[in-house]
Formats: sequence, structure tokens, C-alpha cells
Amino acid sequence: MEQSFYIISWTDVFVSLVLVALCLFLIKWWRIGLEKTILIGTIRSFIQLSIMGYVLTFFFGLDHWIFMVCLIIIMILIASFEANRRLDVPIKGYFMMNVFSMSITVFIVLGTILQFILDLKPWFYPYAMIPIAGMIIGNGLNSSTLTTNRFIGELAHREDEIDTLLSLGASPRAAVDTSIREAIRAALIPNINGLMLVGLVQLPGVMTGQIIAGVDPLIAVRYQIMIMYMWLTTATLANVLIQGMVYKHFFTSKMQLRKELFRVNNL
Amino acid sequence: MTNVAKSIGGKQILCNINLEIFPGEFFCIAGPSGSGKTSLLRLLNGLESFDIGDIYYKGQSIQNSDIQKLREEVGMVFQNPAIFAETVKENLIIRKQWDKLFFVDENDLFEILEMVELPQHLLALDARSLSGGEKQRLALARTLLNKPSVLLLDEPTANLDPRLGDQILNTINQLRHQMNVTIIMVSHHIHQASKYATKAAFLIEGTITETGPISILTNPVTEAANLFLKEED
Repeated sequence: MEQSFYIISWTDVFVSLVLVALCLFLIKWWRIGLEKTILIGTIRSFIQLSIMGYVLTFFFGLDHWIFMVCLIIIMILIASFEANRRLDVPIKGYFMMNVFSMSITVFIVLGTILQFILDLKPWFYPYAMIPIAGMIIGNGLNSSTLTTNRFIGELAHREDEIDTLLSLGASPRAAVDTSIREAIRAALIPNINGLMLVGLVQLPGVMTGQIIAGVDPLIAVRYQIMIMYMWLTTATLANVLIQGMVYKHFFTSKMQLRKELFRVNNL
Repeated sequence: MTNVAKSIGGKQILCNINLEIFPGEFFCIAGPSGSGKTSLLRLLNGLESFDIGDIYYKGQSIQNSDIQKLREEVGMVFQNPAIFAETVKENLIIRKQWDKLFFVDENDLFEILEMVELPQHLLALDARSLSGGEKQRLALARTLLNKPSVLLLDEPTANLDPRLGDQILNTINQLRHQMNVTIIMVSHHIHQASKYATKAAFLIEGTITETGPISILTNPVTEAANLFLKEED
């Protein structure tokens, strides 16, 4: 085989807007009412990714571990800010809880991949470190936000059960044990379903990207397997760490359930 | 309870509550719905805090006591007790989930079941399949397994027909003697409560209007209590 991948030009990218136009046409025709959001999303993704491309090129050129670590810290801070914004009800200190849980998760998962799996030289090889860190942070953020919002819903749903357990002498952690387990289970199901269905229904993004870029499918598959396991671990770790902190916010120092905190939005 | 007051969201729920309840009593707090009866019990179990005043248990302010130990000793049975999606037995020994040292001898379990008049063959059933009266008895047995000194009962007969309600109160009264527990019950079923209680108080619009022997339940002195009784009839 000759040239196995195609370098996409900016003109090509603009041509892909035809697809968005088709989408907008259908949305308008069916009066779904998302035109403005889609337009903003289209423009935002264009601008954000273009900037990200330049930022990555800049950082990759610096070629020193300290810059890579700084970039990962910035990514964690932005993700934690976004996680805070996506909550159904405000949780005091949620930003810092996310910074803490994401830092530990990135340290463990990224560290394992860089040190024991990819065995890169140098260990901070930016072309691997930054995209993988981005996947860990993005996936961790999505999963932990889903879990926290579900946990808040579980509290509202199980209010009587929690009160009963507390009244029998249970600690707050024991009283919300079922709520935490249910929330984490619900958040992990998409990851587990992904493991079950991968390769049967669709080719996942990373693998597709690598194949388009000319990588042997057998190698692309290995990367994809590693990334699927990484996602599962990331989601589990981030959820366990953050829920271990979040539940405390809903109790007073006298071990009383602070119902006013989750009744705000009439969940 | 001395000068206890509580408000929620700027609304006064309980105002200047002064009550003294002695060991072994069956104390009934009567009053209309929304008068603050449940809130009062929740304060005694430590599920909520009060704004001013103090509550003493065995001579010590509950604010300084170990809250988990207090909740075990001052057990509460809710009006609509939470029944977990497990067997009756697992509901009874739910404390095992957080207290690994908690152990209930099979004979003790049967004894408690007998006290609350719950047949043994129900143990293996899904607790959600029980009737309203059986669920109330299950919740009672679950709380009794903590061996409390005080039992707080929130409208234990509210969801039961009068005959079943009578049976439950009779059981509770027997438990008071057998297990030497103090009963504090809130209810708006005055006639039923007056058969078993030894002392009573009226709680109306967050205020204790009168307290005294059981006879006040049928012959109150204050106008507010008389008005409440008239509405109940």
C-alpha cells in the first residue's frame, strides 16, 4: 500500500460544516429548538480545539517534564471548574475535592501507563503523556459528575431510609452506603457496557483515529484495549475518591442529614 | 427539656418546651397534625438540633453526648418506617452493616419477635411484602434489638385500623414492663392513647399548653386543648 493516510486541510474542515448545516436544517424543520446551542457548540469546539492544537504544539516543543506537568495541572483545574459548574446543587469545596481526586487518579493511572506499559523515552514523551492525561481527566470528570448528581438524587429518594439508619445509630457513611454504591454503579455502567460491546457494534474513537492515520489495526487494537481498561480504572478511582468526600457535605457535625441542601431544586 | 425552641427556615416549629419525663413512664404527647410533634421526637433522637434551651438525658446534656450511642439508647420508630429491600431477618439485623461486632443470638431474635407478636416464619420473607401492621412491628423489633432505655414512637397507629392500633399499643405497653423502657409517644388518637399512657402533654402550635396525669387527655384545662379535642371528635 502506498500513502495510507490523508492530511486534512483547513478547507476540508470547513467542508465538514456541510454536515452541521444538514443537522441544523433537520433541527429547524422538526422544531427541536436547539439551533442556537448547536451553533455555539460548533463555534466553541472549533475555537477550543484550534487553540488546543497550538497549545499542544507549543508545549511539545518545550520538551521538558516540568512544562508537561504544568499543562496537566491546568487541565485538572479547568476540568474541576467545569465539574463544579455541572452540579445539580452546589457543594461547598467541590472544586478542591475534584482537584484532589483527579490528581491522585492521574498520578496512579498515567504513572502506570507511562512507567510500566508504554515505557517511553523520555518518560514524559509529550505526544503520549498529554493526550492520555486529557483522556483520563475528561473521562474522570464526566464520570464523577454523573456519580455526584446521581448521589444527590439518591439522597432525596432515600431520605427516610437514611434517617432510619441514623436513628438506629449508624454513622453517616454507613447511612449513605447504598446511595453511594447505587450512584457509582450507575456511573460505571456505560464503561462496563463499553467493554462488553467494543468491536461488536462500533470501532472506538482512538482506534479509528489510529487506523485513519495509517497504523496497523493489530497495533491500534492493543492501544484501544489499554485505553478501555484505563477508562474503567479512571472512572472507578475518581468516583470512589470523590464520593468519599462528597457525602460528608450532606451531614452536620452532629451526624444529621442536611435535607435543605438537596431539597433546593425539588429533586 | 428546658426552654427548647426550634425554627426551620424562619418558621418557629417549637417554642419554649419544658418537659420532664421519668424512667418507666408511658408519656403521650398529643396534638394536631403540624403542631411540631415529630420535630420534638427528632430532637430527642438527635436527628435534628434545637436553637436554644437544652435536652438532658440521664442528667447529661445531649449536646455533649456521643450521638451514635444516644441514638441507640433513645431509639425511634417512625410513622412510616423505612423497610429495606431485604428479608425480614436482614431488616432486623441491619446494624450488622456498620457494626461488625453486632451479634444477635437466634433465641434473642425469636424472643423479640414474640414480644412484638411477629410470627417466626416471616423471617425469610421479603420485608416489603408485609402488611402495614407487620411493618410497624418489624420497625419496633429492629429498634428494640438495640436494647434502648427510651423508645420514641411517632404516631405508631396512624396507618392502622383501630383494632390493629390497639393491639400495637398493647404490645408496646407490655414491652415497657418486660424491657423496662420509657415510652414517649406522639399521637393524635387521644382515646386510644389514653388507655395505655401514664402521663400526657398537649403540644399545640409548637407550644406545650398543658402537661399532667393521663386524665388531661380527656379533660384538658386549656382552651386550645379543648378545641383540638372537639375537632378530633
